[in-house]
Amino acid sequence: MTLAAGRWPVYAAPAAGERRSGALVVYRLELLKISRMIQVRTMAVLGIIGPFLAVAVLRVQSATPGDTAFGQWVHESGLAIPMVVLGFGAPWVGPVLVAVVAGDIFSSEDRFGTWKTILTRSRSRGQLFAGKALAALTFAIALMVLLTVTDLVAGLAAGTQPVVGLGGQLVRAGPAAGLVALSYLSDLPPLLGFTALAVMLSVISRNSVVGIGGPIVITLVLQVVTLISLPAWAQMALISTPFQAWHGFWAQPAFYGEFLWGLVTAAAWFVICGVVSWLVFRRRVIGVAS
Amino acid sequence: MIAVTEAAPVVEAHQVTKWFGETTALDQVDLTVPPGVVHGLLGPNGAGKTTLLSALFGLVLPDEGTLRLFGRTRAEAGAGWLDGVGGFVETPRFYPYLTGRQNLAVLAGLDGGGAGSLIDQAIESAGLASARRQKVRGYSLGMRQRLGLAAAMLRRPRLLILDEPANGMDPAGIRDLRAALRRLARNGLTVLLSSHDMAQVEEICDSVTVLHHGRVVFAGGLSVMRAEAPEPVWRLNTTDDAAAVEAARHLTGVKASAHDEGGLVVYAAQDRLDAYVLQLGRDGVALRGLQLEVTPLESLFFQLTGDPAPPGPPPAITEES
Repeated sequence: MTLAAGRWPVYAAPAAGERRSGALVVYRLELLKISRMIQVRTMAVLGIIGPFLAVAVLRVQSATPGDTAFGQWVHESGLAIPMVVLGFGAPWVGPVLVAVVAGDIFSSEDRFGTWKTILTRSRSRGQLFAGKALAALTFAIALMVLLTVTDLVAGLAAGTQPVVGLGGQLVRAGPAAGLVALSYLSDLPPLLGFTALAVMLSVISRNSVVGIGGPIVITLVLQVVTLISLPAWAQMALISTPFQAWHGFWAQPAFYGEFLWGLVTAAAWFVICGVVSWLVFRRRVIGVAS
Repeated sequence: MIAVTEAAPVVEAHQVTKWFGETTALDQVDLTVPPGVVHGLLGPNGAGKTTLLSALFGLVLPDEGTLRLFGRTRAEAGAGWLDGVGGFVETPRFYPYLTGRQNLAVLAGLDGGGAGSLIDQAIESAGLASARRQKVRGYSLGMRQRLGLAAAMLRRPRLLILDEPANGMDPAGIRDLRAALRRLARNGLTVLLSSHDMAQVEEICDSVTVLHHGRVVFAGGLSVMRAEAPEPVWRLNTTDDAAAVEAARHLTGVKASAHDEGGLVVYAAQDRLDAYVLQLGRDGVALRGLQLEVTPLESLFFQLTGDPAPPGPPPAITEES
């Protein structure tokens, strides 16, 4: 078949109201693209088998990670294991994993030169921004839900004995499983804050290395900063602080103040990064070297 | 729904100006493209062609002036500004980790309205049926151009805007592209294409706008352009170049000089060239080669854009040289 001989599609007017769901159309297509990314598929596989590997490693070795919350109980209760994984991994691994998608979702269009392609398809910048941002958030939520489920299942598979809480109280398996799930999900707000941060870096820099690497570097810096004696308000303003809010769930009696503060902190980071991202994206010149 | 009267121009630019810092990319550009024609946007690199096409797509906003597609400004049309418009700016770009078909599926998804059902038709019409399941990272430039055309046609456009569409295509692809565009125009589609290749535009366009340094230096039909065009430039090889130059001195409308790389450069209209060749025969000078170096429209293009370099001849040719 040649270009000349081709039966090209002929004009048809768009149906009325077709554009109303523009952001959702973009959102759906972004999820499709994300699902085809090799790094996302790799993450999904690791997210499923990783917790079981962690259980196997912790059960095999005789020493316990005693300097980590719940670390000394990993041989006594399987439900202590997901809490060790959460305490060690969430502040480090979570931001890195969400940055792989969120830090690339805008800048990848720059890298591939595809902004011009998608902006010539009757979709507004607002729709594209909303669809992409929503897809990045969905990925972060899906990742957190996946890790919650797989870590919990791996922990339960390792043993359903009661676990010792941070107040020294013994927590039976049923309530402990609920607290594990709640603890994992309490890390979702700061993770969404990191997602917004990664999106902002992706939009501003137009560079995937900055978009993905930036949140990782910031995570490292914040970890160092938390070691410094900061005023309480400054500590509470750090996006990494809410990752520790679950400690209150396991105290005796339980307290939720840090979690609520964490919600405010994460929301502030989320809104600021989101607004800055949109303002920068809306004004960008695309398609012509200036 | 796009309401278009038969007489309404499909594309209208009025006094459009765009600055990038200190650089004036477009300088009070006027452009009118009526329906059903193939209109060429010509100019050397940096003339402002891509900026103008980008402005039509809404990728850049003019600092001054008005743009209308199908009689509506962007403000009037809102989100429907590009309804009925397909095309690409610069080389079409796609997601390299997706196949050609998957890329079209993504774009059809953005288009909505059943565009997904047209993917196979478009990809076959573009001559990419055998490569539809190949990842785009493995596509040649010409294949990407074809995929870009397929992506544009997925939108079932009434206006097709193409930026240097023949870039990277092999000669057969270029030939097919010309024929396809002519056929689409005959079916009522309006085509606006940019190019820096006058010969290519000459074959497929009904009218042209020539840009130079962001300004319109010519706008009109090809027939008008031909009437204003200077003589074409020919390259001749003969058995006796000196005698051939001498023969040209005695013929009106023929200018000949020795070329730096051998042979002759001759400025002459077609009928005068015929007379010249016959005269060479009578003078016992055999013709070993005759080639059109620069068409009349190319010559005019070079004049309009201040390009002093039609291939071959020295800057000034006199009958005495």
